[in-house]
Amino acid sequence: MELKGFEVIWNNLDYLMWGNLPGGIALTLIMSLSAIIFATLLGILLGVGLTLAKGGIRQILVVFLGFLRAIPIIMLIFWTFFLLPILFNIDVPAIATVIFALSLVGAAYIGYSVHAGMVAISQGQWQAAFSLGLGKKQVIFYIILPQAVKMMMPSIVNQWIPLIKDSSLAYIVGVAELTFVATQINNRSMIYPTEIFIFVILVYFVICWFVNFVVAQFLKDRSY
Amino acid sequence: MLDHVLAPHFLWMLWDGFLVTLAISFLTIIFATLLGFLIAIAQKSDIKVIQQLINSYTAIFRYSPLLPQLFFWYFGIGNLLPLEFKLWLFDEPQIELGIITIKMPSFEFIIGLVALTLYSSAFIAEEFRAGISGVRRDQEQASLALGFTWWQTMRYIVLPQGCRIAFPPLIGQYMNVIKNSSLTMAIGVLELSYVSRQVETESLKTFQDFAIATFLYIVAVAIVGTAGNIYQTNFLNRERII
Repeated sequence: MELKGFEVIWNNLDYLMWGNLPGGIALTLIMSLSAIIFATLLGILLGVGLTLAKGGIRQILVVFLGFLRAIPIIMLIFWTFFLLPILFNIDVPAIATVIFALSLVGAAYIGYSVHAGMVAISQGQWQAAFSLGLGKKQVIFYIILPQAVKMMMPSIVNQWIPLIKDSSLAYIVGVAELTFVATQINNRSMIYPTEIFIFVILVYFVICWFVNFVVAQFLKDRSY
Repeated sequence: MLDHVLAPHFLWMLWDGFLVTLAISFLTIIFATLLGFLIAIAQKSDIKVIQQLINSYTAIFRYSPLLPQLFFWYFGIGNLLPLEFKLWLFDEPQIELGIITIKMPSFEFIIGLVALTLYSSAFIAEEFRAGISGVRRDQEQASLALGFTWWQTMRYIVLPQGCRIAFPPLIGQYMNVIKNSSLTMAIGVLELSYVSRQVETESLKTFQDFAIATFLYIVAVAIVGTAGNIYQTNFLNRERII
């Protein structure tokens, strides 16, 4: 009886992997990877913004980031799902809205990490860079930011794993990623939900654990 | 102008959803804190098997998303429960607690609570563990040297300090519980996100509807944050000075 459930998974392995192109595990990976890239780039910009901005602009930035961190990602997905087509006046595919929402949330957290890193760089670095005649932009992008990002790398990677996990929320708006595909198979077979969802949980676990492991190795190798 | 306002009965729907969100979050916070605390203590055990079991428990719950976990409990474990129990729940039985009678929560609510509790307990256990390991080893050794038993050492020396260190991150986890409770909409718990979707399709006033739901979430998260801050500045920090 136990084996029958895994037979369902085995028979549908192709569908779980690729869905109807794109879909399944492949789509989960694509969405997570794009969200990670966008979130990290945007997060670095936000970190620079938090460090440099003063007065009103900084206030607006802090409130906006606080907003992103305070609301559930589902609400943010609803908002982007509803607002993006109005803002850009085009039909935005659901995948894009989810990636957009995930990137914003990830960026909000990564932004604070980068900001913390930049603040922690000693004043001497800033002063030395300025006294060498570098402009403000050069000081930030050539001197301060590389050190800050290097120092905060573990914290930034810690934000990547929630992004992989949260890509499962795309299910809510009907994107055919792993969780969605699994519920489809579950609805079709109806008899082996336990095995199917254990499989899904294990797949996510392996992906997250793998990312964590690889990055930890990478950080250890170039220890400084 | 009045066209833009949500009709009162939609507002009441959202309010009811908000109460369900608060209820499931509150119960989750209580159960997950108790469970997480027990897990963190068990992790201090010297028995290798227990340590490994607990490490794999926290790893599997922390490294996989909540949504498939909810489906696992709802479709998987929910199916294994006896039919009589589900039918009994379906009749909406009342529980009598002295003078007040409350409605027994729905099957979805119970499953959502179980899934959220187990998921959150792994994170909370991790915060407790970090707090306990933040207490310097000398404290434990000194207390043992003074003749405290291991249990007394934990109870009077290590845990009070560990919990104090763990407090700020715990508040962060409690905020996460409120946010994560929104995922229970996927299995049909009538909480705020579910209701806001419902109101959207019925009223077609997407903007106002989402704005109110978002505002309510921010209020709930802000309450937890402020309560945590007040408790920390007024009670925890004062104790430290004495």
